Amino acid sequence: MTAAIEMVDVLDEPKAIEGRSPFVLALRRLRKDKVAMISLAVIVLIVLMAIFAPVFAAITGHPPNEQYRDIGLTPDGLPRGPNGTFWLGTDDLGRDILVRIAYGARVSLLVGVIATAITVAIGVVLGLAAGFLGGVVDTVLARLIDVVLSVPFLLVAIALVSVTGPSLTVTVLVIGFFSWASVARIVRGQVLSLREREFVEAARSLGAGDRRIMFVDVLPNVLAPVIVYTTLLIPVVIVTQATLSFLGLGLPPPTADWGGMISASQNYYTTAWWFILFPGLALLITTLAFNLFGDGVRDAFDPRADRT
Amino acid sequence: MNNDVLLKVDDVRKEFPTHSKEVVHAVDGVSLEVRKGETLGLVGETGCGKSTLARCMAHLYDVTSGSVWFDGKEISTLSRRAMRPVRREVQMIFQDPYGSLNPRRRVGSIIGDPFAIHGIASGPERKKKVQELMELVGLNPEHYNRFPAEFSGGQRQRIGVARALALRPKLVICDEPVSALDVSIQAQIINLLADLQKEFDLTYVFISHDLSVVRHVSDRIAVMYLGKIVELAPTHELFGQTRHPYTRALLSALPVADPDTADSREQIILGGDMPAATNPPEGCRFHTRCPKARADCAAGEPPLISVLDDRQDHRTACFHPLTIGEDMSTAVPDLKAS
Repeated sequence: MTAAIEMVDVLDEPKAIEGRSPFVLALRRLRKDKVAMISLAVIVLIVLMAIFAPVFAAITGHPPNEQYRDIGLTPDGLPRGPNGTFWLGTDDLGRDILVRIAYGARVSLLVGVIATAITVAIGVVLGLAAGFLGGVVDTVLARLIDVVLSVPFLLVAIALVSVTGPSLTVTVLVIGFFSWASVARIVRGQVLSLREREFVEAARSLGAGDRRIMFVDVLPNVLAPVIVYTTLLIPVVIVTQATLSFLGLGLPPPTADWGGMISASQNYYTTAWWFILFPGLALLITTLAFNLFGDGVRDAFDPRADRT
Repeated sequence: MNNDVLLKVDDVRKEFPTHSKEVVHAVDGVSLEVRKGETLGLVGETGCGKSTLARCMAHLYDVTSGSVWFDGKEISTLSRRAMRPVRREVQMIFQDPYGSLNPRRRVGSIIGDPFAIHGIASGPERKKKVQELMELVGLNPEHYNRFPAEFSGGQRQRIGVARALALRPKLVICDEPVSALDVSIQAQIINLLADLQKEFDLTYVFISHDLSVVRHVSDRIAVMYLGKIVELAPTHELFGQTRHPYTRALLSALPVADPDTADSREQIILGGDMPAATNPPEGCRFHTRCPKARADCAAGEPPLISVLDDRQDHRTACFHPLTIGEDMSTAVPDLKAS
């Protein structure tokens, strides 16, 4: 059905006049936003670093999990600072921090993107259903949203991971399950006002069914806030994942991830500043870039919103 | 014009519950018929239930009681699925050309919606039909890729008209189609609707609070007050032989272009506001504001019948209808029981 609708839009003769969609206009505004564009460049660099993590390993000649107990540790068994061999120093087991940061980016981005995607997908569908169908569906879903939002997330996460054991899947599912409620709440609120709009009544008078109205007429109108929320959700998810790892609930060792590295560095912050600084910086720069980019997206999609 | 009935509304009531457990009696027992090929005007103040009645006619609302018949078939009880084939024949044009078009969709797909929903045409065929429709209503067919925000109010209303006519309906319910437009644009849209009516043999229900617009387009006019029809007559009779005091008051409020006539003509200014639809007055709904109200007006509800020497198609719901030439401006209500 959707494909058929798009036919009207796609089958263009050259003479046809192109309409400027709100989406295109927003992208145009976004492109003029310097901070957002710089942040985007930083994000692209981090993504490239994650993709080409093996290249870092190849250039330095240090695989991420290789422990250099002889050259990577001082005779006292402490981490070595940045030098010609280990550009960002080594950790407590003599592993190359630079290479591990590059590999850690893979985990952060993967969890950030997948968990956010799950969150948004569940949130949008349930929010649409609650707001549009109303009645019992809405009552049940609205209460469910309240319940999920009031559950102490970390406690449940700790309990769950101690039962199932730490893994990437559990991390993603835990984050996805506890984050959809806020998306659903935003979407529901928007849909509640949208469904009273005349164009919904117009669609109904044409004979459109609920599903068509929900996805063809209502959904495009909630996409802007959803896109904005999504870009702002990614850094939150990345930090959450790092938090879980920091608490020992992330990926099982020896997998490199930023939260785990920061956690391991705790005992060495007086003797090995590089050990805590560089993974921390990686996390900070990533979340900052996503946040600033998200702010730019928000300003572009909703020019009336406050910049405060 | 023939006298075949296309749409019949029989004692329809529509109530809306409010949060405070009161009930809004938006439409309270309306019966009327729409004949094939005619334009039936529906006028009344804001909040009198015209739009609710329109939505009951199109079965966008379920009626609380009563029935709606289209082409000899009762439609007020049909399920949404069973209603689909009827939707092709009954279409609506909405008041707000800004709110009734989805701002996030291209005009081409908005006008193409009826074809998509009813699975009539797709791909290049649909595009061709959409462009034909756009041309029909006076839009540039090359603009089908634009968004509603790129059109003016009048152009948007043309888009709404094109969408309503896509499936070649028999009945088009126009819910204040020109109220949101500039006066100069109003005339264009009204003329467009008139041309299309001739070309496609359409039947219109034309709703407006503007009597001069309704007078221009309608064959018959129904005047509504607080959920009820107070007078229903052929247009020239309603204006020439006004029976109901409320109709007379509405007519006297019509602006007149000539200042001399404007000063000298009868002015009827009704006291008070329209009573709340949650708690309509007993008896005749208009008796609280009617200059001619008598004790019996408060006691019983006047039926909608032909009064005095009127013909059958001029019906008035009033115990004390106006005679021709009667001066109402000096009338004084007298509600004491005698």
